[in-house]
Amino acid sequence: MSLISRSRPAPPPALADPRRPARSTQGLRGWFRDPRNLLLAVVALVVAYLAIVPAATMGVASLQSQFLSTGPVHWTFRHYTETLGTADFWTLVGNSFGYAAATAVISTVIGFGLAYLVARTDTPAKFFAQVAALVPLIIPGILNTVAWALLFAPHTGALNVLLRDVHLPAFDIYSLAGMVLVQSMHVTPVAFLMGTAAFSQMDSSLEEAALASGAPPLRVFRTITARLIRPAVLSAVLLMFVQTISTFEVPQLIGVPGRTFVFVSRIYNALQAFPTDYGTVGVIGVFILVVATLGLWLSRRLSGPGAGVQTISGKGYRPTVTELGRWRWLGLAAFVLFFVVAVALPLLMLVWSSLLPGYEPPSWSALHHLTLSNYREIWHTPGLVDSVRNSLITAVLAGAVVTVLSSLVAYITVKTKARGRGLLDGLATIPLAVPSVVMGVGILYWYLSMPLPVHLYGTLTILVIAFVTIGLPYGLRYIVPGMAQIKDELEEAAAASGASWPRTFWRIYVPLLVPSLAAAFLYTVIVAFREISAAIFLYTQGTQVVSVTIYQQWSNGSYPVVAALGVVIVVFLAMIVAIVRLLTRRFGLNRQ
Amino acid sequence: MIEVRGLTKRYPGRTVTRNAVDGIDLEIPEGKLVTLLGPSGCGKTTTLRLIAGLERPDAGEIRIGSRLMCAPAEGVFVGVHHRPIGVVFQSYAVWPHMTAVQNVMFPLQSGQKRMGRTEARRRAMEALEMVGLAEFADRPAPALSGGQQQRVSLARALTREPEVLLLDEPLSNLDAGLRDRVRDEIRSVQQRLGITTVFVTHDQDEALAVSDEVVVMDHGRIVERGQAQDIYRCPREEFTARFMGISNSLPGTVQEGGQDMAEISLAHGRLRCLTPAAAPVGSRVNVFIRPESLRLSRKDSSGRGWKGTVEFSIYHGDCWDYHVRVGDTLLRSRMYREKVGLAHGDPVFVVPEEETAIAIADKIAASDGAVADKDESWAK
Repeated sequence: MSLISRSRPAPPPALADPRRPARSTQGLRGWFRDPRNLLLAVVALVVAYLAIVPAATMGVASLQSQFLSTGPVHWTFRHYTETLGTADFWTLVGNSFGYAAATAVISTVIGFGLAYLVARTDTPAKFFAQVAALVPLIIPGILNTVAWALLFAPHTGALNVLLRDVHLPAFDIYSLAGMVLVQSMHVTPVAFLMGTAAFSQMDSSLEEAALASGAPPLRVFRTITARLIRPAVLSAVLLMFVQTISTFEVPQLIGVPGRTFVFVSRIYNALQAFPTDYGTVGVIGVFILVVATLGLWLSRRLSGPGAGVQTISGKGYRPTVTELGRWRWLGLAAFVLFFVVAVALPLLMLVWSSLLPGYEPPSWSALHHLTLSNYREIWHTPGLVDSVRNSLITAVLAGAVVTVLSSLVAYITVKTKARGRGLLDGLATIPLAVPSVVMGVGILYWYLSMPLPVHLYGTLTILVIAFVTIGLPYGLRYIVPGMAQIKDELEEAAAASGASWPRTFWRIYVPLLVPSLAAAFLYTVIVAFREISAAIFLYTQGTQVVSVTIYQQWSNGSYPVVAALGVVIVVFLAMIVAIVRLLTRRFGLNRQ
Repeated sequence: MIEVRGLTKRYPGRTVTRNAVDGIDLEIPEGKLVTLLGPSGCGKTTTLRLIAGLERPDAGEIRIGSRLMCAPAEGVFVGVHHRPIGVVFQSYAVWPHMTAVQNVMFPLQSGQKRMGRTEARRRAMEALEMVGLAEFADRPAPALSGGQQQRVSLARALTREPEVLLLDEPLSNLDAGLRDRVRDEIRSVQQRLGITTVFVTHDQDEALAVSDEVVVMDHGRIVERGQAQDIYRCPREEFTARFMGISNSLPGTVQEGGQDMAEISLAHGRLRCLTPAAAPVGSRVNVFIRPESLRLSRKDSSGRGWKGTVEFSIYHGDCWDYHVRVGDTLLRSRMYREKVGLAHGDPVFVVPEEETAIAIADKIAASDGAVADKDESWAK
């Protein structure tokens, strides 16, 4: 029957259809019949499990007299009193805080300075700074660390050789100062991104109003710009602090050779020792957890609501630009210097060492030894190819799981009015506050100690679980804004067209979210592929991932192969990052 | 036919004394277009969303045709996608990742009764033809103009041949020119199909133009309902009179009562007024006078004029609005004339037209100010 020719009145008269009420919702049974409620329950359970287990296990281990032993177990504060009572622990606290605080301040100052130049001045060639901002995504921390160790190796490091040639004292990278330098170079780009977001989202009419009130530019900067940006600066400092205090590679590769221990390296080395002191590790873990949580909480409060999505949303307007006059060449110099130090030096060092059979500092004579044999060697190094395969498998699986899970969490928190959705949102962001090291050790403890039906320790699954937990907040960061941009009416129109909820989700939400979903997937793949701080505690023979292999090869002294592998990884990650950029740019433009 | 009994919806999570929808009874006869008219926040959109099933009521019953759609007391709730409805949203809600025809095909392919691609496309094309968009069928939705998108949305709501069409402020996102065309389109399609329709709007002109019947709402309740021309000519409630744009109101007393007319004495003189309800002699009333029923002249030739001075004027293109101070009150007079030539401070006589003003019993005076808050939201 066609629409036009249809006769009215169509519906047959009277008599209620007896089957109708059966379709309706009734009490608790009805609650479960709505697929969305069931979904909410399942998603909440999964997220809660992922978020709570590692930190909670850590806490429990720190409070038990024995962990992973057959003897009787009782609750105790012994580990706390013993650990916190030693001078060694407080040296550790001093080192860790000094290291993290110095890194946080240096990287924030440099990052925000550059961000101001890029966002609010007419400094030319902003391109340098913007490319450098991609470094932490493209160069995994472990490779960055390796490159800097090669650059500043006490006797043979390329830069130290250079310093000696001009009769300056060499720089010992294996020191607290060295740690700060390497870590700062790695996290400055993150501070730069936060700064760019903060500066370009600032409403320039506030500054214009001050100028129009007759205040000179410098005074405007001091009384208006600096004041407005202050919460973002403090928030960035805290975030850099938390990130620094909880990562593995710099403390282990740079700190340990110089006998400078911080929390993370202490935990790792305590777990390598036998018999393992699980209690002390637990105490240190809980300590970092508390510090990180406090730092993150403060950082959130300072940057205000919605700060989590700040870096990728962003309004269309371009803030007014200050003309620097002749000073802009100084700005350009800053860009170039930053680019050279943060990007060019480490990358060139990697490429250089990858082309030599054994490490030697750059020189004319060394040019004769250039060879591609290290790249061939990658294939013959035992376990290397396997670890690349493991990394790909775990990263892709983690990416897929994170994408599905975070799109469901995003749907529930953004689009429904379900009770408990705020809690779900909170749960899903917990992993941000759990340092990767704690995540690794917590997951390790849990799967070692729990009598679960399926034995997961020693499988790739345990790594996937860790990567999913770590990646979940990042996945949400891409999908939540995408979900929020889709008007409720688009779903309601589908329901009013007679489509069931799963069909609506599949036909309306999924196609509209494709860019965000893809970005979330690829970003999680990158995060998982680089990740070492948790993986280092979870791998076993046969489940090594590539970051762990790099660490081991480095420890064995096979620098050239590490460098060659590093170059390959950097190229691979650069390609993925390029795709993500493309996607987010399109997604930023296409939908208002 | 739609039947609504005692429909109540509380504001979620707030302890407000008023309800969003406060016990509404409503019948929408088969094949008629009924408008829910009221200011923002009056509960009209919530009522529509309750009928659609997009919201759950806290109490009351809704029937579409003869079937019970929801009755919280009995635990009955039919989900949106099981109701025989078509909805057109204010923001069009045309899916941007599909073409026009794909949008219209969606209900046929994803609804409860599904059909094959060719059949769905054929019927979708018919619907698009009906709204005059057949040639744009394969355009991606975002490439269509606002008016075209809203017509796609209308076609989409109709392809499934719903028993009831629900329109939620379908014109308010459109430009002034387009608004009239889409409005005419909606009315013509609705009358051709004879489909039972609920039309939500806050614009009284729109409501008068399309409706068989107008339901005026305020604070979650129905203020009054009636044929469009009755609501316009002689509203029974002060709220309706104000909302219909009858902006001049003067207090008065009934001198002589009549069947539909009464002689009212005002501060400045006497006037014969329409009375929607019986007005006993001596009772207090408010007299509502349309701006176009007040004429201005420089000389008081009829002897009935009220002496005043011009405060300011507003030019509308086809008419002038003069605001004239008479005693303590500011009256608005509308003149459909190219040139009037009055300026601020000019003395002028305001001559009210007989038998068009409406006298409505003054409830505030009657109940001693107990309903004093009644007026806060009429302005919108």
